[in-house]
Amino acid sequence: MGDLFSNLSLGFGVALSLQNLGLAFLGCLVGTLIGVLPGVGPIATIAMLLPITFGLDPTGALIMLAGIYYGAQYGGSTTAILVNIPGEATSVVTALDGHQMARQGRAGVALGVAAIGSFFAGTVATLVIAALGAPLTGLALVFGPAEYFSLMLMGLVFAVVLARGSILRAVAMILVGVLLSTVGTDLETGEERMTFGLPFLADGIDFAVLAMGIFGIAEIMRNLDHTEHRDVVHKAIGRLLPNKEDFRQSYKPVLRGTFIGAILGILPGNGAVLGPFAAYTVEKKLAKDPKRFGRGAIEGVAGPESANNAGAQTSFIPLLTLGIPPNAVMALMVGAMTIHGIIPGPQVMTKNPNLFWGMIASMWIGNLLLLIINLPLVGLWVRLLKVPYRLMFPAILMFCCIGIYSINSLPTDVMFIGFFGIVGYALIKFGFEPAPMLLGFVLGKLMEENLRRALLISRGDMMTFLDHPISAGLLAVALVILALALLPTIRKGRDEVFVE
Amino acid sequence: MDPTVNTPTAGLQGRHSARPSFGLVRGPQNLVAGATLVLLAALALWLTRDLEQGTLGAMGPALLPRWLAYAVGLCGLALIIPAFSKDGDALERWSLRGPIFVIGGILAFAVTIRPFALGGLATPGLGLLFAGPLAIIIGGYATAEARLRDLVILALSLTPFCMVLFGDLLNLPIPVFPQALTGLFPADWSHKAVLRATAALMAAAALIVFGASRRGRRTVEADVADHSGRI
Repeated sequence: MGDLFSNLSLGFGVALSLQNLGLAFLGCLVGTLIGVLPGVGPIATIAMLLPITFGLDPTGALIMLAGIYYGAQYGGSTTAILVNIPGEATSVVTALDGHQMARQGRAGVALGVAAIGSFFAGTVATLVIAALGAPLTGLALVFGPAEYFSLMLMGLVFAVVLARGSILRAVAMILVGVLLSTVGTDLETGEERMTFGLPFLADGIDFAVLAMGIFGIAEIMRNLDHTEHRDVVHKAIGRLLPNKEDFRQSYKPVLRGTFIGAILGILPGNGAVLGPFAAYTVEKKLAKDPKRFGRGAIEGVAGPESANNAGAQTSFIPLLTLGIPPNAVMALMVGAMTIHGIIPGPQVMTKNPNLFWGMIASMWIGNLLLLIINLPLVGLWVRLLKVPYRLMFPAILMFCCIGIYSINSLPTDVMFIGFFGIVGYALIKFGFEPAPMLLGFVLGKLMEENLRRALLISRGDMMTFLDHPISAGLLAVALVILALALLPTIRKGRDEVFVE
Repeated sequence: MDPTVNTPTAGLQGRHSARPSFGLVRGPQNLVAGATLVLLAALALWLTRDLEQGTLGAMGPALLPRWLAYAVGLCGLALIIPAFSKDGDALERWSLRGPIFVIGGILAFAVTIRPFALGGLATPGLGLLFAGPLAIIIGGYATAEARLRDLVILALSLTPFCMVLFGDLLNLPIPVFPQALTGLFPADWSHKAVLRATAALMAAAALIVFGASRRGRRTVEADVADHSGRI
């Protein structure tokens, strides 16, 4: 316990320096500014804003990126509540009741509860990360290649189970993602694989390019298909602070949401996505009058928003302790860390304690800043949301181009976001969900590396994955989850959760 | 998610089964999706045909991609086969205008931001000064509601904003001017001074276009002009 506090105070010492505080503030502000734009989720926001952190020292850069991430998350919720256009999967649930509240003239309260719930969830999640960080890093030391491979396989199985729609399609997307990750020079033999002999493919496909194409450009094309129907709330925003009655109704959902979100967020394989859905279902089940849900129930905003934020934060745990990015946002963080010469994993905490604890402390500060800056700025976001899409998307397009060009100074990267934009658009039209593909791509390289290493040690004996007890346990968990997801009754329940 | 999509007639609206008499394909979306996967798998197999597979103990470069390709192909087949026996979703309508202009804008940006050579053709590097407005104006036509005047104002105000933000404040190595333009400014001006002067000129131009063409219409443009004012 003493360790925890000395570590946290070290972290706050770093994060509270004037420069880092300013960076956290700036990150939250621009993150919200971009994240508020309809159709721009956290992934596209971070990819777009990655270059603005290049000139900073690693600690400052990561603090700012974390701020951008929370800002983008919060901006997504704002859009969901005010316009009913969820920026990403996790704010779909917020839109259900949040937008109804907004139409009843209670947009301010919805935003306020979302902000306060998120802040509370963020505080708890920060403590969870600080408490679990050290022990889990110890776990990483007993992990060999076989365990790493099995853990990532389990993550992918989670991702399949958590994806919406057909399981077969999700499996196909993950396999395509892993296949895409094998493009480029083979690290062990130095031979080029599937590069068409093109020099810029020799290093493989850049993750930021793939993510920006699939989540930024494809999203623009998809939005253009629908004739614009933006339902910006015309009613007054109303008071921002919830009153006593609102508090009474929402404090329990906030507690439950935080708990659910924090646990699901730790799971590899994008568990954080499930948090808001699970929290919403739980609240609806527990409510005395479930009919209120979908008609502006404050619990339907408080629970999922807390779960969302708690999960967004605890999903840093697999990255910081094991070096495994559990979702696409964390994969972008890996990219950002690598640019600054830091390889994510257990060694970060021992070699770079300032950076590690500073970043954790800045998470809490970021949440506090969001609470402070966002509530007064709601008016500005409302005005921004009234800009018609025909003017908004060309701006988004140019920011995407500049952002991706600045990362490597390569015009081919810019062309590739166009290419992957078309690919993403086609995938959506064919009924595929692109998120599992991105996760497959993220984990693909690491998986291949560990698979090869494990098999090299065991001289080609596949049984090595079952001989190591931890590895066997992880594979068993994966198998059980997959089997459960395929059972007809549970499958029906899973569909229901996503339909809601 | 739409319950009406699963009705039997919806499956017949797809491009591949436009006429009910062709009633073989009952899930056109599944068929096309599966076929895409199979083609992708075939492409991967063809691309890795010359690579060493190795053994499990010493894996060659082709082992994993090849197995993955087989698995992707199998998924594709698993989508194709039921497409003939079970009713599935129809293909969604594709629009051409959106993707074409969006890609056009991106390509225009990519080839003009710095000199780019493809085969015998080479483009002059024009820098952000021209690449930015090109992306905005070409890309902006992706919607049928596009208006040239608004896009010009947007381009003239956002481009200087980005020039100052990325080139001046953040010092990113992004080309800002065409090489040919450097002679226009006094020789003793620094790079940054030129950048700021150009940005100010563009922002002023945006205001002029905005002021000249405003006919008592005060709508969203006020928001857009704010961007240049904030610099």
